[in-house]
Amino acid sequence: MLNKTGIPTAEDVKKVSPSEERLKKGPVAIIECFQEIPCNPCTEACKQGAIQPMADINNLPKLDFDKCNGCGLCLSRCPGLAIFIVDGSYSETEAIVRIPFEYLPVPKVGEKVAGLNRAGEELGSFEVVKVQSGGQKNKTYTISIVVPSDLAMDVRSIRLGGVRHAN
Amino acid sequence: MQTKETIVCRCEDITLDEIKALIEQGYRTIDEIKRVIRAGMGPCQGRTCRMMIAQELSKYYGIPVGEVLMPTFRPTVKPVKLGTFAGGE
Amino acid sequence: MKEIEILIIGGGPAGLCAASAAANLGATVLVLERDGEPGGQLVKQTHKFFGSKKQYAGDRGYQIGNLLIEECKKNPNIEVWTDTTALGVYEDGVVTAERQGKHLKIEPKKIIVATGASEKMIAFPNNDLPGIYGAGAVQTLMNVHGIVPGQRVLMIGAGNIGLIVSYQLMQAGVEIAAIIEASPTIGGYLVHASKIRRAGVPILTSHTIVEAYGQESVEGAIICRLDENWQQIPGTEQDLNVDVICLAVGLSPLTELCFQADCQLKYIAELSGHVPIRNEYLETTRTDLYVAGDVSGVEEASSAMVEGRLAGISAAYSLGYGAGVAPQLQAEALAELSELRSGPAGQKTVKGIMKLMDKGEAVC
Repeated sequence: MLNKTGIPTAEDVKKVSPSEERLKKGPVAIIECFQEIPCNPCTEACKQGAIQPMADINNLPKLDFDKCNGCGLCLSRCPGLAIFIVDGSYSETEAIVRIPFEYLPVPKVGEKVAGLNRAGEELGSFEVVKVQSGGQKNKTYTISIVVPSDLAMDVRSIRLGGVRHAN
Repeated sequence: MQTKETIVCRCEDITLDEIKALIEQGYRTIDEIKRVIRAGMGPCQGRTCRMMIAQELSKYYGIPVGEVLMPTFRPTVKPVKLGTFAGGE
Repeated sequence: MKEIEILIIGGGPAGLCAASAAANLGATVLVLERDGEPGGQLVKQTHKFFGSKKQYAGDRGYQIGNLLIEECKKNPNIEVWTDTTALGVYEDGVVTAERQGKHLKIEPKKIIVATGASEKMIAFPNNDLPGIYGAGAVQTLMNVHGIVPGQRVLMIGAGNIGLIVSYQLMQAGVEIAAIIEASPTIGGYLVHASKIRRAGVPILTSHTIVEAYGQESVEGAIICRLDENWQQIPGTEQDLNVDVICLAVGLSPLTELCFQADCQLKYIAELSGHVPIRNEYLETTRTDLYVAGDVSGVEEASSAMVEGRLAGISAAYSLGYGAGVAPQLQAEALAELSELRSGPAGQKTVKGIMKLMDKGEAVC
């Protein structure tokens, strides 16, 4: 249960997942926001009109997968770091997952990082292909990693070697 | 290993056992306990221990914590040096 | 004796917003801030805020703090005294304060108390070992002074503060052994919880601390599971090797000045403690004394800012300022508050305010 562990269930995730078909077409946002809280920056970030304006600020965001072009503006704006971009069209067997990142050091392009699932379990070592800074004000980095297609909806966090000095 | 103590009032170093013993002796309010043992009379003026003592009173007397009589609040809200009063308005 | 139209006690999000709102309508305002800089807890908040554009959502807390401070600095009607602690509110309306070792008297026409809240403590064996901190203290250490409290932390409390401070500790390179929470469910926003969980930190609900141990300072903690009646379940103990225990077990409204001023207060669990009874416009039962922010019930900073604005407008309006516009501005602030509180996350506050005002329906 999400509200006991912090881990969204498969059913939770299913509710915000696009079809296999849509995933294959190209980049799309996955908004893993499952709790009604007063928050709406994603609706204002979206320039495609894909995230509908909220009648009530407490509503869950509603994303039109067909209008979404996976630009990632919402990803870097979301205060909850709950939005990811998945591009299933990267290759026959691989997908790109873009993840919001706010730790130091920031990984470099070409670096291998551990990919973690929603429970923080390691799923493998994956290559970073793009690092975008959120800029002076926003500060949230977007890290793009290449993962096997079947893990595209599972990898949601990364860990760098030596990021924790306590171990 | 040291003896285990549960501290309620950090400023005056007063334990949960000491507070419980006073309540069992019949002290019924935060103010009474304060006068006997100085809980809440240190630098933080009860901000840490006040509601913990209220909880113990609430448990012992079986009343809601909101009905435990609050102490009297007087200026100043923090300790002030006498020199400050002497030199000020 | 310093005379001023509106005295605001506390320069946090509520106090600064109250100052701007009142000054914009033409009132002269003095803000007392205990710290060396205004901003309150905002200066330590490195995460992005929720809410809408009106409450600067998407900006980080310290950035919002800087914005509010700038606004106050630009306004010639606002004076801010830092390193100044209000000491007492007297029957004749005089407020005393200590400013850099000097005792001062202030005679305001209106007072807005925006003192915020203080951290709660809990009782467990060895709870005074060095290495046991309040979560707010850890934030101050890290984000104001640049010091990490230790290497491996047990966080107690999975409300927003516990979750956010855990995240900030992780960002500073400190390991979180676990976040434990006595309630059966996580109290803070689940997006914060998920963000921490997917980095590998266990969040254990229905868990409590049995005791801390260590010779000179914290060397570890024993935790255990709780049953449905909040009783410890024997045999479920776990020994965690940590050098820091961080308490994020809630806040208490800082209402001493309200008690002194003879405001009527009521204990409302949903608002986290004793809070002054006040009307819709945040005026307490002591005429001319208003409250805003956590002192009127512990909530998110976004609501504190709106409450500050509402109290500021109301205090200025009662002095005759903003005749044409104030009612409209008040209505806007009230609408924003009810919007922020209308969802499931705001139900506790709404219920608390209903109890406080002893009415069958929510007023704001």
